Amino acid sequence: MIPISYYLILSAIMFIIGVVGVITRRNAIIMFMCIELMLNAVNISFVAFSKLHGNLDGQIGVFFVMVVAAAEAAVGLAIIISLFRSIKSISTIDASELKW
Amino acid sequence: MVIFFWLLAFLALGSALGVVLCRNPVYSALYLILNLFLVAAFYAMMDAHFLAVAQIIVYAGAIMVLVLFVIMLLGLKPINTPRPILVTTIGIGSGIWFLSVILPIIAISVPDSLPGVTPVIGGVREVGRLLYGKYVFAFEAASILIIAAIAGAVALAKKRKIEEVR
Repeated sequence: MIPISYYLILSAIMFIIGVVGVITRRNAIIMFMCIELMLNAVNISFVAFSKLHGNLDGQIGVFFVMVVAAAEAAVGLAIIISLFRSIKSISTIDASELKW
Repeated sequence: MVIFFWLLAFLALGSALGVVLCRNPVYSALYLILNLFLVAAFYAMMDAHFLAVAQIIVYAGAIMVLVLFVIMLLGLKPINTPRPILVTTIGIGSGIWFLSVILPIIAISVPDSLPGVTPVIGGVREVGRLLYGKYVFAFEAASILIIAAIAGAVALAKKRKIEEVR
């Protein structure tokens, strides 16, 4: 039997790897994948707490996170394609028109 | 069982690092697929069987195929600009700071089990009953969200008439 805190620590470390990826990488697709990584880390926490409390509501939360992630993938990748069409690059350094 | 967990956790963290560190987006995407499979294995270890299957079908099967399609479609070369040292330092520093705060809290405050809790199995029947009973409104709202996302994706990715005139 594995203690719940192991899963939570794994989830925290995975989340931080995702955060560091979003902060340091400049490729829009890799930033997008790091966001997916963070969503998955949170999902592990959801399921771990659901197991700890003997309650399935957390797993429903994971289900809806998956739904939102699918919608986000469709829209986010469409934005990346349209960005590439207009500036021929997906580096976020080149997409700085709105930066003050 | 514990050794199995450590092996999977090691692989999951390694593949997560691979996503962040790889220069080539294709390798990042492949590492992310490996990571998603390992997360599905963790779900299965925590008795969330429905979620483990849904994770593989939805994430590894649908979302990552979409991501790989886009990467191949754009035909990207790895971006070889040097990494800004300041941003990298800030990112890694804030990550270490956050971990040093949160890990002791988790280790101290989370009990291994609560008294009087009966273990639940997240099979298709149990999750489905909850999904179509207590959470049916949220479930229907999710379908509206998906339709809005489809319409948005089509509208964004479609070639505009103005661009063709130019």
